[in-house]
This record gives sequence, structure tokens and C-alpha cells, in this order.
Amino acid sequence: MNVLRLEELAKSFQRAGTVVDAVNLQVEDGEFFTLLGPSGCGKSTILRMIAGLEEPDSGRIFFEERDVTFDPPNKRGIGMVFQNYALFPHLSVAQNVAFGLEVRKASTPEIRKRTDAALRQVQLDSLGAARVDQLSGGQQQRVALARALVIRPKLLLLDEPLSNLDAKLRGETRAVLRAVHNSSGVTTIYVTHDQEEALGMSDRIAVLNAGKVHQVATPREIYERPATKFVADFIGRNNVIEAAVENVSENSAVIRFANGAKLKVHPQQRAVGVELKPLSRVGVCIRAESLRFTDENGICTGVLSDVEYSGSGYSCLVKTDLGDLKMEVPGSIQLPSRELTIRLDVIESAIHLVGVS
Amino acid sequence: MTPHPSRQPAGWRATLSLRERDWNWGSIAVLFLLAFVLWGYVVGPLVSTFWFSVDSGQGALAEYAPFLDFGSAQSEALRGSLYISVLSVITAGATGVFLAVLLNRWDFRFRRIYQALVLVPIALPPLMGVKAFYLLYGKGGTFPQLLGEFFHTSPLTFALQGISGVLLVHTMTMYPYFYLSVAASMAQTDDSLEEAASSLGASTRQTWTRVLLPMLTPPIVAGALLTFMSSMASYTAPLLFEVNNVMTVQIASNKESQPALASAVAVILAVISVIFLIVIRGYEQRGVYRTQSKGGARKRRWVTSSAAKVSLFAGALISTIILILPIAMIFLLAFSVDGSWRAGPLPSAYTMKNVVKIFSGAGSWGPIKNSVEMSAMAVACAIVLGVTSAYVTTRMRIRGRGIIDIAMMLPWALPGTVVAFNLIVAFAKPSMFSFGQVLIGTYWMVPLAYFVRFSPLIFRSTASSLTQLDPTLEEAARSLGSSWWGAFRRVVLPLVSSGIAGGVLLAFVAGFGEFVATIMLYTKFKDRPLSIAINDELNAGHWGTAACFGVVQVVLVLAVVILMRRVEDRGAIAHTS
Repeated sequence: MNVLRLEELAKSFQRAGTVVDAVNLQVEDGEFFTLLGPSGCGKSTILRMIAGLEEPDSGRIFFEERDVTFDPPNKRGIGMVFQNYALFPHLSVAQNVAFGLEVRKASTPEIRKRTDAALRQVQLDSLGAARVDQLSGGQQQRVALARALVIRPKLLLLDEPLSNLDAKLRGETRAVLRAVHNSSGVTTIYVTHDQEEALGMSDRIAVLNAGKVHQVATPREIYERPATKFVADFIGRNNVIEAAVENVSENSAVIRFANGAKLKVHPQQRAVGVELKPLSRVGVCIRAESLRFTDENGICTGVLSDVEYSGSGYSCLVKTDLGDLKMEVPGSIQLPSRELTIRLDVIESAIHLVGVS
Repeated sequence: MTPHPSRQPAGWRATLSLRERDWNWGSIAVLFLLAFVLWGYVVGPLVSTFWFSVDSGQGALAEYAPFLDFGSAQSEALRGSLYISVLSVITAGATGVFLAVLLNRWDFRFRRIYQALVLVPIALPPLMGVKAFYLLYGKGGTFPQLLGEFFHTSPLTFALQGISGVLLVHTMTMYPYFYLSVAASMAQTDDSLEEAASSLGASTRQTWTRVLLPMLTPPIVAGALLTFMSSMASYTAPLLFEVNNVMTVQIASNKESQPALASAVAVILAVISVIFLIVIRGYEQRGVYRTQSKGGARKRRWVTSSAAKVSLFAGALISTIILILPIAMIFLLAFSVDGSWRAGPLPSAYTMKNVVKIFSGAGSWGPIKNSVEMSAMAVACAIVLGVTSAYVTTRMRIRGRGIIDIAMMLPWALPGTVVAFNLIVAFAKPSMFSFGQVLIGTYWMVPLAYFVRFSPLIFRSTASSLTQLDPTLEEAARSLGSSWWGAFRRVVLPLVSSGIAGGVLLAFVAGFGEFVATIMLYTKFKDRPLSIAINDELNAGHWGTAACFGVVQVVLVLAVVILMRRVEDRGAIAHTS
């Protein structure tokens, strides 16, 4: 059964214009669902409408098939973690966590019991009496999480919860979030602009741009089979090269690049809605790690223009006759000299076609 | 004192090593002069008053015993001051907090205009402002007369007299303490806390009682402390509304007939003020609650219900009129014929003569010129003292800078009446601080009092600029080969100049309108400053002339407020580091 359903949800602001444009989404029970997109894509606004902090201009929001579109936030039974944590500065850590239980008029022993349990769950049981401004950013983050979880919400909403943390803490907090999700099984909606976070943590991801949903799928499918050029550009280190379809048969299609190079792909290696017929234009997604050096013809020639060492390998930029291409090279491979003209080839099975527009 | 390098941030250690070389004869001379001035004119006079009060020849604490006797005049004055101060905190607090929340949380028509007008009471001149309240709401005033006519009863039914009059003045002039601190605190927080409370299940009422109001506790306490201290120090309002059983009036009226009694009252009042000074400083260090998130600014809610719209509009209109009326009354009076207000709610005849008179009459320029002179002289000396002590307390790591800090702020906490009384006691005899002269009865007492009272304003604004100024800038100048003086002159001074200028403007305006200490100290008619001229004209029934002087004060305050805005804008560069 779906826990949350958004139906034709739309919202515009006076200055920013249309921020959310007829969004339809369904989230299943126990899912870790991510709204992913660049800043300004409307993901936070969708989350705030789910929480009841913004009213949609049109459309409906259903919690377990109950229409909650115009219910106030305090009647929705949600737990939310804010980007800046929004901890109450005049209350101690334990008082912050107990807040939701107190306004629900829970009994004192129950408040105690559940607050202690929630603090233990986020490994802060020794800091209950501390003032929130004495905590580090990572600890504040975990207090906010405990405060949202202690009320046993039907839906946990996380608004870019890791964006204020440094890289190391981000990794640790991700582990905490995943552990909490696994142990509590709470349906979670996670908002982020960081594709790595989204791919690593989610059961399913909705990729958004300019208020529109571009794709809803598992992380693997999003990564390997982007639905649109935007998704292909946004996720991973993808090169999207425009090309023309030359001829199509039942089991293969031949694609011709601007430099004359040709490539054979299976017709299934394309996003929904991409037409495969002679002379139609398509976008060829070539991920940075599926390019390799070759001594044979390959698809293009060029020179190495920029190299970044990343520990596990090299991130390269190659100036080619098909434009600048991003390329990931494993550390075990010897990089060619920068003076040499090099040839690049692609793993054909890793090709994916998207529409151009 | 040996520094503890492990406890100091790295920046301090670097500063310290430069600093050690600064320990030369020059800096010792500066410190010596600072100690001389602070003792001679600021702390010493207070101590003189204390010695005077215990040295009355009837046993050391004889003058203090009446405070414990419930029926005595001293005890009554103490209770009167405390009573008025507590009530003022309540009324000013309710007004200030209500206005701050209203104007910073909701949006409605004309909000911006209203927001500008809400600070109008700051521009009210000290003496003439209180008189304007009296003429509006006091015995024989405009409103009692209008209401009396309307209800066909005696105007006295509606006249604010005694304590209620004092409370009105206190409420209207002191609510900005609450308004400013609460508004500043609200600007530091954003909507996310409220949203968090709501998402956790709190109803609107619970959000207010458990989150929003508790968060405002620090600014409300800060406002309450300031209001209490100012009410204890208040002199003009009790004087005009004839409330005699308060400590300030008791000091002023007994200063010649029973100086020992007056000194004991002054000491008690000083002790209360100093306690509040210490509490306020302790409280300031706790800071306000802050929340930061992207976007930052708090969103104002548009008021939508039409009933709320109407009541807000009506409420805003009425409060605006109430706020503007005293100033309007001063302007109106300035054009009224002296003595033309015998009966009726407003003066009956109008003229330009008052304006012409104060700008052309040979004697009338005198008070303005005296006030400008005295205030300018005091400010010039206060700049030297204020900037030096600000630099010493914020930048030099020497023993006793906490003492300098407290000593500098002391006169700010003391009521003007007490400062004046202290100077009277201290300079009744020749001393090395008065170059062997008796200063009482001379021209110099008034500028000296202005210097003592208003140095803290310059000290405070300079010190806060210096605190915000990164010490590494000075170190960078030193590392590039500049001498200490060169670094101070070419780097520090330009960057804190806006802070100094802000303090100077405030101090000048305060000196220009000062009444409370002046009335205790001035002696010769030809030396009388503006506030005394206003007082004299009021006593002589020349309300038009007095109001004209009042207009000069209002215009000066407005000019300074505009200037300050400019200075603040330019000063913004100093705080980017």
C-alpha cells in the first residue's frame, strides 16, 4: 500500500514563478525515497508541502489514501529533520527530543523511556542534559533525527540533512541514517542535491528539474538507464554526444557521430520515448568510466588536456573531435603522454540513448 | 600575570609577543593618565559622596538608619522609586514586546510607516518631551479637557496625575528598550523553529507558549533591566507630575538643606544602579539565541482575515497618533502666543514671534550657544578618554582592564542626579583634580558633568567596533614595518572611526539636551544651557519660547539620526573581516 501519494501537485511563488509543476509521485511503505535535483528544482518545496509548511496551488496530497492536502503540519503525524536542524536553543538535548511527546501529552514515565531510547538509538545517551549549542554539528544533526523519530512518525522527512556537515561526518551520519531506517522501518523521504548520497542510500529516486519529475526509478536504473538528457548529465560523469540514427533492424541500430564514426547498439539500450528510425537525432550517453584508450580505430581521436589524480585512478578531460570528453582511467593503467594523439573507444554494451532537446 | 598559552587562541599569542615590546614609557604614561582621570572625575567623586554620608558626626551609619524605618521619608522614597520602576517595567514591557512581535511577524498595510514611527519617542527631547506629555494628558491638558467636555464632567476626572502620569511617560519613552532588543532577537531567528515545533505536533498555542515566547526571554530580561535602571534614575517625570517621594527628587531637593541625607540617598541609589550594571553585563555575555539557515530572513505573514485587518489598521492608526502627539504638541506650542493657553484644549493664538525671537534676540541665542559649547567641550575630552580606554580594555593584556571597563561604564549606570551630586561633594574643596580651585559655582561644573556622564557612550561604541575588528589586521600592519602608532593611526583608527563617530554623535545629542544633572549644577544666568532656558521659560509661563527651544532639540536629534545612518552604512566595511 502506498503511504504517500502526490497527485498533480503544483506550486508557484510570486518571484520565482512555477517551482513545482504537476508532480505525481507514490511512495510505498517502508521505502527510502529520495527527491534529487539541482538547487531550485522544487524538491524542498515538495517536501514542505508534504509536511504542510506550504500549501499547494493545486493538486492533492494523500497519506495512506487520506486527503491531507490542507491539514496543518501538527495534524499530519510526520517527523521532519531541517537543514539547519532547527533545534530549540532554550531547551536541553533531552528536552528537545521530548518536545513532540510533551505536546502530545504523553505520560512522564513514557516520555522518559522513549526519549532515552531515541537518544540511545542515535548514540547520544550521555548528552541528554547538554545544551544544544554545546554540541558539534554532527551531534546536533543526530538530536534533530532523534527528535523526529521519537514521535514514531508515519513519514520521516529529511531536508538536505547532511549539507552542513564536513565530508567525514557526512559519511558517518549516512551510516547512522541507514541504520535508523533499517531498524525502525519508517518510510523516509530524503531531499538532496548530492547524487552520490542519493545513489548510495535510496530504494528509489525521483530526479527533478525545474519543478518537473524526469525519472522515478531505482538508483541502479537511474545511473545506467537515464530517462532524459538532463538525468544523464546530472547523474554520474556522463558524456552526452549528439548523433544520428543510420539504420535500424530488429536486433540492432547503427548510430553515426558527427566525425563519421559509427557505433552499433541494441534497440533496448534507449530511454522510453526515444524514436529509433533512420535520420532521427539521439543523445548518446557514454559514462566516463566506459571510455578507454585503444590502438584501433575507436570512435574519436584527441589529446589529454587535464588530469586529476583521485586515489583510485585518474579523472581526465580529453579534447577530441567529438568535443571535450570526461574519462575515468583506473590507477593501474599508464596514462599516455600529453603530446600524443590518442584514440578512444567505448564499451558498446554500456551505451544508452536518450532524446535530444 | 603569567599568560596561559594553552588556553589562548593562537591569535592572542602572536599579539602578545608584539605587545611585550609595547611595554615602554609611553604606554605606562598613558595608563597612568587614564587612572588619574578615572579616579579623579569618575570613581573618586562617588567615593567622596560615600565618605560624606558616613562622616556626618552622628555615628558612621546614622544617615542610613532611616532606610530601615518604614515611616521615614527616605524609606518612603526608596519604596516609591522601586514601585514606579517595577510598574514601568510591566507597562513598557507589555507595550514594547507587543509592538515588536506585531511589526516583525505580520505584514499589513502601512506596516513600514508604522515601523519607522515606532521609534519616534527616541527623538523626544528630555525636558520639553515630558512637558508635552503633561500638556496632553496632565491636569488642564488637552485630552482631559476634551473628554471632560464630551462626558460633561470635570476635566480632572481624566487627567493623569502623580504616579499614573509618570508611568505614562516611562511607558512611552522606555518601551523602545524592549522593542529594540526583542526585534533584534527576532531578526536572529527564522521560521524553521516554528515549523519544527509544528511538524512535531505542537498546536499554534503550544508553539507560542513552548517555543516562541521562551526564546524571547533573554531580550525581554535585557529590556527589563534597562527599563528598571532608567526608571530608578528618572527625575524629570516625577518632578513635573509632582511625585516627590522618589529618590532622585529627594536628592535634588535636599542637596543644600540636608546634604548628609541627600548623600546617603545618593549612595543607596548608586549601589542599586551598580548592581544592575553588573547584572546587565553578566547577562550581555550570555548572548541571544540564534538560528541560521539558508535564506535567512524571517518571512512575515500577511494578515488575511478582514476583522484582523480592520483592528490592526485601527490599532496602528491610534498608536501612531499617540506616538506622534507629543512631538506635534511641541511644534504646535512653538507657534503659539506665550500665555495664550489659559483655557480650552489647545492654545488660542498663534504667531511666528517665538521663532523670530530665539533666532534674532541677543539673549536667546545664548542658551543654544552655551549648550553647543559645553557639549562640544565635553565630547572632545570624552573622545580622548573613551577611545584610549576602549583600546586598553580590548587590546592590551594588562592586569586590571576589567576594573577600567567597570569604572568607565559606572557613570552610564548612575542617575544624572547622583553624578551631579557626587561632583558637588568632590569639588566643593580644592583638589589636585581641579587644579587647586573650588569648581562649585563655576562654568566648568556643567561640561565636567557632561564629560563624566557621556564618556561611556563613546567608550562603548568604540570598544564594540574594536572587538569586531580582527586583531590580525593590526599585526599585519606591524609585520609590514609599521610602528605601533603608525598601525593605530593608519589601520585601526580608520576602521573604528564609524564606531567612534556613532558614540560622539550620541554623546553630543545627550549633552545638548541634558537637564537632570544640569539643574543641580548650573549657577549663573549667563552660563545657562538650553535645558535650563527651557525650564526657566516654562516656569515663567512662556511655553511658546520653551517649545521653540524644544523644536531645536528635536531637529538636532533627527539630524543626528540621519547622520548615524550614513555613518553606519560607511562603517559596514569595517565588519567584513
